[in-house]
Amino acid sequence: MKEALTAVGRSLPRAGLAAKVTGEARYTADVKLPGMLHARLLRSPHPHAEIISVDTAAALALPGVHAVLTPFDPEAAGRLAPDMTILSKRARFVGDEVAAVAADDDSLAEHALQLLRVQYRPLPFETDPQEALRPEAARIHPGGNLCGGAPMLLERGSVERGFAEADLVLEETYKVPCHSAAALEPRAALARWDGDGLTLWKTSRGVHQDRSTLAHALGLPIDSVRVVAPPLGAGFGNKDESRGAAIAALLSRKAQRPVRLDYSRHEEFVAGRVRHSAVIRLAMGVKNDGAITAIDNSTLMNTGAYLASGPGVLRRAAQGSLYLYRCPNVRYQGLLVYTNAPVAGSYRGLGAPQGHFALEVHVDRVAEALGIDPLEFRLMNHVGPEGQEGRRRSPRHEIVDTQPVEGGIPFSSNGLRECLERGAEAIQWRGRPASNPLRPPALRRGTGVAACIYRGGPGRESTARVAIHRSGRVTLATGVIEVGQGAHTVLTQMTADALGCRYEDVDVVSGDTATAPEAPITAGSTATFSSGLATVKAAAKLRGSLLDVASTLFELPRDRIYFNRGLVFSKDRPTELAALSDVAAQMPRGSLEAEATVTPGSPDYIVNSFAAHFAEVEVNLNTGGVRVLRYVAAHDSGKIINPATAVNQVEGGVSQALGLALTEELVTDPGSGVTLNGSFLEHKSPGIAAYPHLQTIFVETEDPLGPFGAKALGEPPTVPVAAAVVNALYDAIGIRFAQLPVTPDKVLDALAEASPRPRRDP
Amino acid sequence: MSTAPTQPFTSDVTLTVNGRKRTLTAAHHWTLLHLLREALDLTGTKSGCDRGECGSCTVLLDALPVYSCQVLALQAGGKEVVTIEGVASGPGLHPIQEAFINEDAAQCGFCTPGFIMSAYALLRREPSPTEADVRAALSGNLCRCNAYGRIIQGVLAAAKAMREGAS
Repeated sequence: MKEALTAVGRSLPRAGLAAKVTGEARYTADVKLPGMLHARLLRSPHPHAEIISVDTAAALALPGVHAVLTPFDPEAAGRLAPDMTILSKRARFVGDEVAAVAADDDSLAEHALQLLRVQYRPLPFETDPQEALRPEAARIHPGGNLCGGAPMLLERGSVERGFAEADLVLEETYKVPCHSAAALEPRAALARWDGDGLTLWKTSRGVHQDRSTLAHALGLPIDSVRVVAPPLGAGFGNKDESRGAAIAALLSRKAQRPVRLDYSRHEEFVAGRVRHSAVIRLAMGVKNDGAITAIDNSTLMNTGAYLASGPGVLRRAAQGSLYLYRCPNVRYQGLLVYTNAPVAGSYRGLGAPQGHFALEVHVDRVAEALGIDPLEFRLMNHVGPEGQEGRRRSPRHEIVDTQPVEGGIPFSSNGLRECLERGAEAIQWRGRPASNPLRPPALRRGTGVAACIYRGGPGRESTARVAIHRSGRVTLATGVIEVGQGAHTVLTQMTADALGCRYEDVDVVSGDTATAPEAPITAGSTATFSSGLATVKAAAKLRGSLLDVASTLFELPRDRIYFNRGLVFSKDRPTELAALSDVAAQMPRGSLEAEATVTPGSPDYIVNSFAAHFAEVEVNLNTGGVRVLRYVAAHDSGKIINPATAVNQVEGGVSQALGLALTEELVTDPGSGVTLNGSFLEHKSPGIAAYPHLQTIFVETEDPLGPFGAKALGEPPTVPVAAAVVNALYDAIGIRFAQLPVTPDKVLDALAEASPRPRRDP
Repeated sequence: MSTAPTQPFTSDVTLTVNGRKRTLTAAHHWTLLHLLREALDLTGTKSGCDRGECGSCTVLLDALPVYSCQVLALQAGGKEVVTIEGVASGPGLHPIQEAFINEDAAQCGFCTPGFIMSAYALLRREPSPTEADVRAALSGNLCRCNAYGRIIQGVLAAAKAMREGAS
């Protein structure tokens, strides 16, 4: 007998929200300790320079200044990453951390920074990745400017053969600039020493990863470092680095007082982590009947001054071209390049929004050349449940890569076709007017479509611990951080149904290395799937132990008992025997606990999420302004655990990515390396006024491998947005933009070049 | 090289915060945001940019919504300040707070106090706002999770609940 789900699939209130609407929730910058000092960072004014000396005497002489840290302090040489130390005698971008001060208050610390006398030796610099690859270019790191020393090459079949077979080959270059994730909460870190033990509160997406990075950099045994993550004012893939926290720790040790470091908004823009800019050359070969014979993608990405998560981003940019459409011959060549520009890192979707922008605009171009409707072309060619053609080469017992290159492996579930069909129906794609009349005053409308394939779901090994206490309260200990996406909400729902308790009775323990089990960083849309599987397994184990207790208590065989919504039932009578808390009260020990570790994934199937997005835009021919009027986002993320938070996630992801499509770009001046627009006023993020009418559709394939049938959701909503908008723009004004963001000046320039023509006029 | 005085000029300031009269010694360069967060430990008011761009520090100053990072602490002297901690009249939640929970009008929650304060000011002025009114009144607040759709619903639901509660 299958017990009914009482929590999974319901729009239960978001965990932790009550404390956020009252202002009670303390984020990192809200945490204060007695005697706490405030730290500020001195940042390099040079894009590339050697630091010859730092004279700290005047700063230290200022009353109220308690510590200064410079690259000449031996402990600052601790290594945070292969290419990054806590502080370095080499500054690699305008804004790179050079020195730090801790003082009684923030304005005093600010003042002390001005008293630091730094002698720099400026070096030649590169801000353009193409330029940085020239043999004579300035070397930013000892290994050279090409990360890894070689291109990333991924190939299936032979593109040469595919192009030879093609009736038509189209090639185009697409450009995506860097833009900032700009989470509203600036980065912060607070350090406190108790003897040799260090506690760090920090903006974090993975306390265990941060602890191991920090312990290593600070030369401490891992057990003497505790990392605590207060609520996070959003991650979006950012906030996975630890330099600020390490600096706070060293200042705190020098000053013998707790030290808190808060980034300013400007620092967030300049020294946070931006999305990798990309130049993508895409060539596609097709037969006259619409069959795709070859896709060749060459991608150049700028990782800025440090590698951060660059290789993962470069890899993620490949997957659309390699796998979204059935094609026997595909190739991806990726170059990741160091420059003296702000550091690029992981930002929601990693490289996928860039890669999908190029691919999905190019697909429209090809479809038009063949005289095929863009939606029909996608329906003809998209990858189906059976996956790509070909013979699997990887060993059959190995867990399938979530971003495979080879063919011959089916998907665990694939609702892409339904996404395309249901999205098209909702936006009335097939009923669109055949002509596109000019609307007064000089307004034109158009509709566009773009699809998405996304890895995510199976991540690294995950552990969860579920315990029930005598009071009947249940605790779920998970290493997954609540970054604002609602992970704790869905994990709580899964715990409730897997154990048979009530949603309200579950407390989440997380974000503290002292109490939470080891977990990978909260990234790659893996929380629901991977941590969900661990949670369900641990909760089911605990249910088994509790059934033993109940069986003794009620003198019934354990297979005649079940738990549902916090009540104990016998299968032989309709009314409950007792409350689960009554059983918990009879437990032999104070509490019962179960732990489970899972390595998610499957040796037989690819687990991927899918989406199809449709945008209706209106272009003002006089101002160049673009408004998104209607937007339909159809997603296959498997079973939806919490419809309300899932809709919020999709709507938010789409709106956020409209910034990439239409407004956001972080501009580095090539002549000086200076970031020119590091503020919310100049790096324009979407606001509430222009928020479009947005409809979300979940096709809800129940994935056989996911917890309760769920798959990844966090990042996919951002992936197809720019292409859907740009394709709609083409439909509206007959101009195909190959560079983001499509700002009004670009629209006006393009309109001036080509007199606008309604593409679908009779 | 600057040799600015290390001891800032200070003055006493008296203001009413969430219904309670407070007298404090404030440095002349302090913003109202700094006074609230650091001197009074009212950390529900968030600092997202400290330069009047994002709205996460929104409070009511004599019933008008302001960016508290753009008001000097001394300018608030003699005035009445309401922060997110003072929105609910009793131990329970204000209907706007309840509606934000019921409509899931947040994700990470960092911008939420600022949005609630802007909505609170709107609903005191206009108990029956249209969707356009809500968008206009909240357009000075940024939500980087872009939970805008839910926030609009949350404010409209709160307005309805407050009208029904009043009648």
